[in-house]
Amino acid sequence: MKEKDLYVDYKPQQHIYYVEKEDQQYGPIVSGSYLSKNFLDDYWLKQKNLESSLRNKVIEGKISLIEYYMTLQELSIADLASRVNIRRAKLRKYLKPQFFNKISLPLLSKFAEVFDIPVANLFQVIIRKEGDRSTIDVIHLKTKNSAFVVTKIESKQQ
Amino acid sequence: MREIPFKHRMGAHCESGTVSSLLNHAGMEITEPLVFGIAGGSFFGYMNTPFFSFPTIILRNRPGQIRTKVAKRLGIPFNTQKFRNQKAGIEALDTLLEQNIPTGAQVDFFYMKYIPEWQRVHINVHYITVTGKNEENYILSDSYYPKIAELDKELMRKARSAGGNMAPKGFLFYPGKIPETVPFDKAIIAGIKSACNNMLKLPVPFIGVKGIYRFAEKIMEWPRLARDIEHLSHEIMKINVLLEDQGTGGAGFRYMYATFLQQASGIINNPTLSEMSKRMMEIGDGWRNISYIAAKIGKKRELGENNLKELSNLIKGRGDLEKAFFQDLVKTV
Repeated sequence: MKEKDLYVDYKPQQHIYYVEKEDQQYGPIVSGSYLSKNFLDDYWLKQKNLESSLRNKVIEGKISLIEYYMTLQELSIADLASRVNIRRAKLRKYLKPQFFNKISLPLLSKFAEVFDIPVANLFQVIIRKEGDRSTIDVIHLKTKNSAFVVTKIESKQQ
Repeated sequence: MREIPFKHRMGAHCESGTVSSLLNHAGMEITEPLVFGIAGGSFFGYMNTPFFSFPTIILRNRPGQIRTKVAKRLGIPFNTQKFRNQKAGIEALDTLLEQNIPTGAQVDFFYMKYIPEWQRVHINVHYITVTGKNEENYILSDSYYPKIAELDKELMRKARSAGGNMAPKGFLFYPGKIPETVPFDKAIIAGIKSACNNMLKLPVPFIGVKGIYRFAEKIMEWPRLARDIEHLSHEIMKINVLLEDQGTGGAGFRYMYATFLQQASGIINNPTLSEMSKRMMEIGDGWRNISYIAAKIGKKRELGENNLKELSNLIKGRGDLEKAFFQDLVKTV
C-alpha cells in the first residue's frame, strides 16, 4: 500500500506500518490507528454496556465479581485458572456467588493480582452517579497491609 | 538511578522490534523486516483453544522463535535466563542493568500502563528492552511506544511473573558477541524456506494456508458463539486489531514480509524476490481491505449471513493467493 493511502493522523495510538514510498522502496512509517481514530467511541459504548450488564448480574446474585472481571478482561476459564494455579472446575464454582464466599484470602489476592485491582474491589464496584459529569479520580493507595487499601476520591486537577 | 544509553526505535512487532534493536545496540546493522524474514515469521493460524475466550487468528510464528531462529541462522549467541523464583528474576535483571546490559524481557502486555487502556490485553508474550531503573520505576524501550517509557517496579514484577499459557517465568535475554561476518545469504534462504514450509506443509488443518481456509469457513459460525450482537461486533472488529494494530506492520505482517523480500532481493542479488515482494504487497492490500470491511460492518452491526459470507469469501480469496504465492516463492530460492 502506498504511504499516502495508509497514513492516518491520530496521535493517541500510533504504530509502525510498512508501506510503498514515493521512490517505490518499501519501508516503515509511523501512522495512527485507523480503527481507533474512527471507531473508538463504539468500543467504549460496548464496554460500558458490557460492564453494566455484568454489574446487574452481580447485583442479582447470578455471578461473582471474578466472572465480572474475567469477562471484562477477555480471559477464558482455562487461562484464568492457569494464572491463579487452580483447576478449571474449581474456578467454574468460584464464578458463582455462593462459592465465591468460600475462597481463601491468599487465593483472592491471586485473582486481584491478575486483574490488577485491590482485593477490596472483589467485594465492590465503584460507579458514578448517573448524569454526574464532574471529573474525579479514584485512587487506590497501597498500604503495608496487603489486604487493606485506602481509596481516595478527589476532583481531577484541570 | 541508572539509565543505559540505548537508541529507542519503534518497531512494527514487539519481538522482531526488540531483537533488531538489541542487535543494533550490540553493533550489528540489521532491519526489523530482515529479522522477521530470516526468522521465517510469516504465518497463519486459526486458533480455537480453551486458552482463548473466543476463536482468534495468529499471524506470525511461535513466540520466541524470532529470536531463536535469528540466533541459529545468523550464528549470533543469545544469553537467556528463566526463573522459578520471582526474587531471583528481579535480582538478575538488576545485576544486568548494573553491568550496563540492555536486557530483553518477556512480559504480560496487560500491565504496560503507558499503553492506552483500550489496547491492553492479557497476552504473556510481549517483549520489551529494559534499559535502566530509578527509585520507583524501570526504564524501558517498547517497540509499540513512541519514546522511552517508565513502568512501576511492582507492575514489572506482575508482568514478568504472570502465570497461565506461555507464562513469562521472568524470561530475560540479550545478545552475546556479534561475529565479524554473518551468513546473510544462507540465513535469508533458510528463512524463506521455513516460511513456505509453515504456510504450505505443516500437517495441521488450522495452520498455514489451511488455517486461512478454516478461518473463512469458521467465521460463519461466530454468531452462534457470541453472547449477543455487541459481542459479535467486538470480535469482528478485533479482526482489524489483529491484522493491523496488534504489532503487525499492517495487513497481518504481509507488508513487513514484502519489505523483507525487497531487501533480501538486493542482499542475495535475486531479482525474482523483488517481483515476489510486489505480489506480497498486493496480497497485503487485500488483507487491509478485509480489516476495513470488518471494522465497518462491526460498527454498523450489519452482521447478517450475507455480510459474513462476503467477508468469508474475501478471506478465502487471500488463501488462494497465498497458496499460489508461497508455492512460487519456494521455487525462487
